[in-house]
Formats: sequence, C-alpha cells, structure tokens
Amino acid sequence: MTGAYENLPAETPMGAPLDWLWLRGAASEWGVHPKPSPRGLTMMDVAVGAYGEVPEHPPRRTMSPRGSDIEDPAPDMGYILNTKSQVWSDNVRELYEEAVARQWSATRDIPWGDLQELPDDIEHAVCQLCTTLSEVEMIAADLPAKWMWRMNHDFLEAKMFLCTQIMDEARHSEVFRKRALANGGGLLKSRGGTTSLLRTILEAKTYTQASALMHLLGEGFILDIFRQGELIAPTDVEKRIFRMAMQDEARHVAYGTLHLRYAIEHDPDVAEEIHEALDHGEDVLVEFGSQPDLTTAISVLLAGGVDEIETKGFPMQMQLTVKLLTSYLARCERAGLNRVQRTKLPLDLLGIDPSTFSPAA
Amino acid sequence: MTTPRIDTVGFFDSLATEMNAHPETYEVLGDVDMDIALVMRSEHGDFRVLLTFEGITCAGVNQIGDGDERTASCWLEGPLDAWQAMFDDIVANGRATGRQTINSLTLLGDRIAVHGDDPLGVDLFFRYNQTVQAFLDGAAVVAGAPAGA
Repeated sequence: MTGAYENLPAETPMGAPLDWLWLRGAASEWGVHPKPSPRGLTMMDVAVGAYGEVPEHPPRRTMSPRGSDIEDPAPDMGYILNTKSQVWSDNVRELYEEAVARQWSATRDIPWGDLQELPDDIEHAVCQLCTTLSEVEMIAADLPAKWMWRMNHDFLEAKMFLCTQIMDEARHSEVFRKRALANGGGLLKSRGGTTSLLRTILEAKTYTQASALMHLLGEGFILDIFRQGELIAPTDVEKRIFRMAMQDEARHVAYGTLHLRYAIEHDPDVAEEIHEALDHGEDVLVEFGSQPDLTTAISVLLAGGVDEIETKGFPMQMQLTVKLLTSYLARCERAGLNRVQRTKLPLDLLGIDPSTFSPAA
Repeated sequence: MTTPRIDTVGFFDSLATEMNAHPETYEVLGDVDMDIALVMRSEHGDFRVLLTFEGITCAGVNQIGDGDERTASCWLEGPLDAWQAMFDDIVANGRATGRQTINSLTLLGDRIAVHGDDPLGVDLFFRYNQTVQAFLDGAAVVAGAPAGA
C-alpha cells in the first residue's frame, strides 16, 4: 500500500499541507473482515484482532477510537476511570446488543386503549406505585451519566451499554408517568425517604461502589418490584408495562453483577470498598422499602383491594420480600461478595436460612 | 378447544414450529440466547424438555433425563397439573391471563418455580420473559384457537 498513490497533491487548494497518511498506510490493523453472525454484524463479531483487545491500563486519555492509528499528542480528556476492572464486565458486549435488539416504545408498544376503569382503591394503588417508580427510575440514568464522561474511551463497549441503560430508564420514567395519568388518576405521594436512597446512590465515592448500590442493590430491588407488578397488575396494560420494564432491568442487574465480579477478581481489595457501600446502602434500602406509601400500595394490589389487606395483602408482601432479599443475596454471592455473614438485613425475622447461600468464590 | 397433551416432545415441537413461522412477532421482542428446561412432575413419571432459543427462533426441543435440567441456564419446575392449568388458560383465552402468566406463576413459586444454579442464569428468564411467554402462548394456535383472542 505504501508505494501507491505517489502523485497526490501535497497541498489543499487553500495551501494547507497534506501527508495522506490515512491512505498510504496507517499503522492500524487493515483487512480484518469480521464475519457477521446470523443476526447481523454484532459488537462481538467486530471484536477481532487489535480491535477486540481492551487494555487493562490504556496509555492515553483521549477519545481516539481503540485500534486506530493514534497520533500523539492529543488533549487529555480528564478521564479518571483508566483501569479496565473499574468499569468492565465480561458480558458487556452481549448486553449492549441485547439492549439494542430489545428496545421498545412506551408510546407505541403499550395497549393504552385497553385501559379500563378500576375500583377507586386499586386505581389509587396503581398510581402510588407508578409515582414511586417514576421517581426512582431516573437515578439509574443520572448515575451512569455522572460517571461515563470520566471513563476511558478504550472501554467503549461499557460506555455504550450504559447509554442503553440511560435510554431504558428514561423510558421507564416515561411509562410509569403515563400510566399514572392515563386512567383518570394522577401522581400521588413523594416523600423524603425515596430521595435519601437516590442521594446515597448518586453520592457514591467510586464508580464500582455506585454500581454495587445501583445495579446490584437498587435495580435488583426494582427488578423484583417489576416482577411483582406483573403479578398484581389489574389489567393487561399494566402487565405489559411491568413485563417489558422487567426485561430491561434484568440486563442492568446482569451488567452490575458481572462488573463487580470482574472488579473483585482483578483487585480483591475492592471487595471491602463494595461491602462498605452496601452496609450503608442496605440500611437506606430497608428504609425505602418499608416506607408505608410503597408497601401499602403494593399490598392493596396483592389483596385485590383494601378489604383483605391484612389477611392477604400484608402476608403476600412479606412472602415476596423474602424472595427479593434471597435473590439479592444470591446475586452478591455470584458477584463474589459474601454478604450473608455481614449484612444487617433481618434474615432471621424473615425466615431466610443463611446456609442456603454458597460461599462466594 | 381442547389443549393437546402437553408432556410430549411433539407438543413443544409444535410450539417451536409456531414460533419459527412468525419472526415478525419475535423480532419486536428481540433476540434470545438461552437454554431453558421445563420439568413437569407426575406420579406416572416426570417429563423434562430442554428448549434452546437462538436469536428469534426456537432452535432445539429435546427430551432430557433426570437431573439434566441443571445443564440449562435455568429451569421451570412444577406438577403436571399446574402446567396443564397454565396451558388450559392459554388455550381458553388465546394467551396467558391473570396469575397464569409464567412470570406470575414463578414469582409466587408455590406451583411452578424457577430454579438455577447460577443467579445470572435465572436472570436470563427475566431478561427474555416476554419471548418465553409468547412462545408458551403459541399453545393457543397449536390447539386451534386464535392467538391473543
């Protein structure tokens, strides 16, 4: 290639010098020919040769595309997350592709025309639940936005995945706001306890602590709320909302779980940092999860109305809380965190047997 | 409308054929990469089937032996009559309704429960839940009822 194109102009018509390096042979990998998979050309397919190598410690702090022929010097972008284990997870490319493939529209894909008039207590309960969800969902957009511009650009796929998460959370805030308003009700109570949880997540000192608080603890909790939502939804409209949102949330939890695992495997000291964040986060989550507005709204939906809230709603909610905390502790183990020995969550009171969790690898 | 016998490979082959014939339905739900096993317990002998989802197709339906469900990302297990009630509801209504959706059943977990040795494998069931539900809802068409009636 180098010997070709010898008679090209040495200057632009305006007199600026031209070196034609991009045409005469840039020092980057050429002709890699990634093979598309049956579903198209994925990010896994193009992670070939040098383009697929994600450095543990990128040498630059620029937005130059990973694998390109980079000419130094370039301005420092001010990245502070310059170690792969600070942001990476082994499933991040797959999750990005999955997120792109499973996008949906809160305007178009929810059968809003099928909404039915509901008993007053049920409509209020749906609206209260949607009020809380509409409030908490945007934290999972704000938080990645806070950290993304600090992530080294060589960790492109992690940033791309977080972009999909931001879009997902915008859609969740949208869909719950729309549902609250769509059926003759409206937004109901918002109190300080919710904001306390959100502030704890947003103020985490490191991205990995923030990921533990948001992906593992907060979104794990919301994932189970969405699962309950589909169970207790009064009509097919809400069922579809919760089922679609559940799929999105499960992706975010999957990223966080394997990010934390990756971080701990590459820097065991980070485990204590995560534990400290979760020590505080669990306290705040218990405060949030037990706030009466949310718990009573869910219990009314579980009971099918206020009449059987004590005989049916509260006991069912307790049963589901046990499932929720069991799922959370199992994900911690998968991430490499043994929370069972450290958590102050009332496992005995809830009848959760610590011996059912295998020691963290 | 009568629900076909559900504890057979042939029944799940029919569901796979129905899914694979309607890419337009599954494209909007997104790709799936998951092996999921269903276990139907019965005093006359358990039935176990492994479903392999790839992209927007069900690429494999295979009967498996006792314990082989652990090779899957996750498995759904319950007595045959609970599965029968779920499919009867699908056939009667054109799709799962009320607490007979697979997510609702497994959330309560008292009749059909989701299991997995890896919590991330179990989370796949949540990530792809809409597709799994649409696959199961195909029973309505297999039985001769219009889907989504």
